[in-house]
Amino acid sequence: MENTSSSRDERKYRNEEITVYWKPSACVHASYCYRELIEVFDPGRRPWVDMKGSTTEKIIETVNLCPTEALSWKWNDEEKNKVISKDQYNHINFRRPELMDKSDNGIIENPVSVKVMSDGPIVIKGDFTLLYDGNKKEIRESLISICRCGASGHLPFCDGQHRKIGFTG
Amino acid sequence: MEEKKSQAVIEVTESGPLRITGTFILKDMKTGNETRLSEIWLCRCGKSANKPYCDMSHKVR
Repeated sequence: MENTSSSRDERKYRNEEITVYWKPSACVHASYCYRELIEVFDPGRRPWVDMKGSTTEKIIETVNLCPTEALSWKWNDEEKNKVISKDQYNHINFRRPELMDKSDNGIIENPVSVKVMSDGPIVIKGDFTLLYDGNKKEIRESLISICRCGASGHLPFCDGQHRKIGFTG
Repeated sequence: MEEKKSQAVIEVTESGPLRITGTFILKDMKTGNETRLSEIWLCRCGKSANKPYCDMSHKVR
């Protein structure tokens, strides 16, 4: 995927420690940010993000709640971006890999393919570990299909029920 | 031949979303968008307003 972020669809807000990225086109107005921290994220204000409104810690916590890639963040000190724990959901390493410092990105040979089928299941292909109901399965060069509509009689797997219930999404 | 290494972990969380971590490419077949990611939570309940991502709707009655 090429990096196509134009200044039009990308805003940056900084304090001394972090940069928060906002991608308006990805925002679905889930409202987690301003319900959590209106002092910083106030849709009625221009600019709507005020990095002086709270602490860095609280801002990171709130950005991590965003369910889309609309809000993401990074440390201004690039060294600190190299060790980010997995619970920092919206750190750019996880949410916006295209924004990352490319200097030491290794080439990945066999990424797993995760396809979200239109109005259907999630189809996962490749070499991966599957955890469900306390089971652990090692899948190699194979494919599974996970229900996305919630109506399968064979959860977590897809059984084609999405068609009968007219699932869209 | 050496056993192939697992590239990603697919976790079916209990009554919750599908958590995927590791090395994977997400392709949304509706939009054609392809993204390389290291962690993602995908909706399994069908109620998310932000499909395919989880927006915690499964917790709302």
